[in-house]
Formats: sequence, C-alpha cells, structure tokens
Amino acid sequence: MILYSRKNKSDQRSHQKLTDRPYYIINIVFAGVIVLMLIYSGIFSPEKNNYPVVCIHERLTGVTCFSCGLSHSFSLIVRGRIEEAYEWNQYGMRVFLFFFAQLLFRLDFLRLSLKRPENIKQLIIYDSIASLIIFLISFWPFITNIFKDLFASFAV
Amino acid sequence: MEDVKNNSGQNLGIAALITAIITFVLAVMPCVGLIAVIPGIIAIILASVGLSQASRSNTPKGILIASLIIGVIASLISVSQVFVASKIAKNADKWPNEIQNIVREVQDDVVKDLQDANISIKIESNGEKVEINTTTQNKEKEQKLEELEGVETQKNDTLQQKK
Repeated sequence: MILYSRKNKSDQRSHQKLTDRPYYIINIVFAGVIVLMLIYSGIFSPEKNNYPVVCIHERLTGVTCFSCGLSHSFSLIVRGRIEEAYEWNQYGMRVFLFFFAQLLFRLDFLRLSLKRPENIKQLIIYDSIASLIIFLISFWPFITNIFKDLFASFAV
Repeated sequence: MEDVKNNSGQNLGIAALITAIITFVLAVMPCVGLIAVIPGIIAIILASVGLSQASRSNTPKGILIASLIIGVIASLISVSQVFVASKIAKNADKWPNEIQNIVREVQDDVVKDLQDANISIKIESNGEKVEINTTTQNKEKEQKLEELEGVETQKNDTLQQKK
C-alpha cells in the first residue's frame, strides 16, 4: 500500500514536471530575450549611432514614426541618462520599464513555479493578467496611435 | 512513440507561443511592426501544425490555441501597419507637388509685394558710405505706360473726320 502510494506520488510528480515544462521554458526564453535586449542597448551607443536595426517605417515612407528613437532611448536609460532618453522618445522610459518588469516577473514566476509546482495554474493566470495589464499601460500610446492612423488612412 | 508525438506537439506549442508573443510586442511598434507579419505567419503555421498533431494524439491544446489566437491578432496588427505605411507612402508622393505649389504661391506673393516696394541698400566700408535707393513701383510705371500708350493709340486709332 505504501509502495503503491509512493509510486503514485512519483508518477504525479513526473506528470507535473511534464506539464509544467512549457511554463519554465517560456519564462527562461523570455528572460533571455530581455537580457539580450539590455545587452544590445548597452553595446550600441547613441554617440556612435551604430544601431543595426533601423526604422523600416521611415525607410519606406520617409516619415518618422511613433517608436523612432526607442533604441537610442534604451541605450541612454541603461547609461543612466534619463533626461536625454526622454528627448529621443518620450515613451522610451515606460517601454523600458515594461521590459524590466517583465524580466523581474519571469525570474520571480520561475522561482515560484519551481517552489510551488502545485499552484502553477494559478501562477499562470496571475502572470497572464499582470503581464497584460502592464503591457496595456506601457504600450497604450502606441496602440491608440495605431488605431488613429488606421482610421485616418481609411478616412483618406 | 506516443510520448515523442506528445512532446513534438508541446514543443511546437511552446515555440509558437514564444514567437506569437514576441510578434505581438513587435507589431505594436511601427518601426519594426511592418516586418512583424513574418514571425506572425511562422507562429500561425507552428500553432496549426501543433494543433493537428495534438488532435491526432489527444494531447492538451491550450498553449497551441493561445499561440494561434495571439499570432493571428499580432499578424492583423502588423498588416494594419503595412496598410497605414502604404497609405502614408502614397500621400508622400503627392507631398512634393503640394510643397512645390506652396513655394510657388509664396514666390508669387513675394514678387507682388516687391512690385511696389521701395528698396534701399546701404553699404559701409572703411568709413565710406554708399546708399542706393530705388523704387520699383511697377504699377505706377505700368499705369503711366498705359496712359501714354492710350494717348498714342487714341491719336493713331481715331479716324480723322472727313470734312
């Protein structure tokens, strides 16, 4: 009986590990992506202006877009030059904070999911809701701008 | 074999979800939103392949459905960005003509203003002063010319009455 219950528990654990694996992987991958983004901001400097990613919108239309200057802004924030960062893009700081918050979220939720695997479903729900709210707060000007442009182009 | 199938569906789901979320964030930014349609399509393909595998092996489809929905929304946002950019590019072709017209109008206004202007140019060099005053007053000159021409034409054009 004891042996059976032990086996059952070990089966449950192995089953939990399998089902929980996607969440671990997703957290690790996103944390890695955000760290890479921070490294990118740190390596490329606004003085040298040697950013490999250019604004495709500006290249195609010749008009600067809403997110132009975000790379410069991020680089300046990483270097602690906040006021200059606002000059490059006024929404740079809030977008940077979103990514930084996401990095903390990924690491913390990963820790919590490893610590309490039985509550993983609740964790995923909390994570999704919190991430969505932070995303909407950070990117709200961008989202509204997209819809404004879309309606304006339909009107023209 | 079954485990391998399950894993492949799940792995596809993870890949699709990661791609879809990254696409969603990229699609919102106009700078890179135009090319976000490419990873969006990749996410949709991964999710749909994963869904077909999951339906065959009766494995959970939660991640796959979520990634498919996020991928579709992200792709739609990206396509809307392409649409907006194409509209702007079309209008941008008209802008040079509009700017040219405005410049011409301003040029005409300046020329009109200068027609009746009094222009004075002062040049100082080593204590020497040179002052040039000139008036265009083209209108007055034109009027005088017309008057003169009028008198002449009147003289020329009027038929002498036969006595």
